[in-house]
Amino acid sequence: MERQIINKKKRVFSVEPNKIPPSEVFTRKYTSLLVPALKKLNMNKNSSQVNQLTVKHEVDMALALSAQEFAWSRFLLQKLSSSNNPTTTTSSSSNGIRIQERSGKEGGHEDGEREEKLRELQKLLPGGEEMNVEEMLGEIGNYIKCLELQTIALKSIVQDTT
Amino acid sequence: MMMTMMMNGGEATEAELFLNCDDMSVLERQRVQLNYHQYHHPGFEPTLPCFFPNSSKMNVGEVDSFLPSAGLDLPEIYGELHGDARISVSPGNITTESENSKKRKFGCVDTETKVCNEKKKMMMMMDREVAVEEEEEEEKSKVTEQSTRSIMKMKEQNSCSNDSSKVTKDSQRTDYIHVRARRGQATDSHSIAERARREKISERMKFLQDLVPGCEKITGKAGMLDEIINYVQSLQRQVEFLSMKLATVSPRVDFNIDDIFAKEVVSAPMMNLPNTVMPPHMMVNSGYPHDMVNSGYVHFNPMQQVVTSSDPLSCFNNGQSATMWDSDVQNLYSNLGV
Repeated sequence: MERQIINKKKRVFSVEPNKIPPSEVFTRKYTSLLVPALKKLNMNKNSSQVNQLTVKHEVDMALALSAQEFAWSRFLLQKLSSSNNPTTTTSSSSNGIRIQERSGKEGGHEDGEREEKLRELQKLLPGGEEMNVEEMLGEIGNYIKCLELQTIALKSIVQDTT
Repeated sequence: MMMTMMMNGGEATEAELFLNCDDMSVLERQRVQLNYHQYHHPGFEPTLPCFFPNSSKMNVGEVDSFLPSAGLDLPEIYGELHGDARISVSPGNITTESENSKKRKFGCVDTETKVCNEKKKMMMMMDREVAVEEEEEEEKSKVTEQSTRSIMKMKEQNSCSNDSSKVTKDSQRTDYIHVRARRGQATDSHSIAERARREKISERMKFLQDLVPGCEKITGKAGMLDEIINYVQSLQRQVEFLSMKLATVSPRVDFNIDDIFAKEVVSAPMMNLPNTVMPPHMMVNSGYPHDMVNSGYVHFNPMQQVVTSSDPLSCFNNGQSATMWDSDVQNLYSNLGV
């Protein structure tokens, strides 16, 4: 059976040294959360356009619920549940700041520059500002992983429907 | 085994013998205070005169001669000495032995350099019941930490063994983390904690370097942070873009979880992705258990292109589905590689 062969290929890799989220578990959770939610959205708003923010809200909610073992997901949930209007949790589209090369500014400003970047990173991570640096760096690792998985899941969902 | 002994008493001549770190596992010498003998020999009366005259003749060799070798059974030694002796024992023996509990009265538990080679943080309880002498702190020590991949650790060990000929003074109070400062660096708790923190941070940075694609060549912390920030932003942007797309198509959507995984699975063998991030993800859904698929099966209308029957596994049997979605999925994943 093909599926069995494919089963053998599955891999579990560690996102963080002390935490191992099987990516499979995450993706499974994620899609099983998101898809029914989207379905519900569809059914509730048959005539009207599905609001993009609503979808984003569901997307983020699914992300947070699928990764509840991580600190950032708690913050994300808080953010999502505290706002009545679904908000974009990531403001990357509005900011769209791409960090430019600052390699020229070495020397005395090195530490300050680094701190600035760490702060930037903290802003990206939900709840990052409330964490200290080391914790944040660890959380960023699994946040990245979950984002990647989320991207794949979303792409396959989108692909599925087009 | 060598021992450092310091005799003390009314007419004490303080003779100190220094250990040599001939063994890489020995980091530091501790001093055992008088209290030890008070614990073990309460009724001891100082018979110093009989002993101390010999003290000046004591050298390492003599010390060795009446010390048991590996098991460093201190009470025995103590009995032999008959003296109000302060014994500082080679920590390597003590720590590793099971008699550690006995020797805790000495309060000279020590860490080994072996720890540095292991990927563990060594937390040593310093059970110091020793009386404090007026001694200054010695800078010779090292930080035992979790980051083990750096060669730096080996260098520290080397420097430590070089310094071992110096006197080691009692420096630590009761602490849970026995941290050593490197040679020439301050030993106050602030800088030690700071250094530990920095090492932890750099270790995490290294881990992130493995995680973020294309970061192997970047060495500076700032550059790494840049890359990480860019990567996270691009991922977030992708998610937003996809959710936007999802919003536009969702009214017409016929969701079929099944198909999603089918596509993942089907495309897996055909992918040839340069991006190291991808392959694990490819396998993500491949391990999707059969029962879960069935329970999560959201069934509106099967996609006409892929699923020809309600059998969830039909897409596997249907070899055509592979080719049909092949190019689409390949585009998908190549885009993801960015």
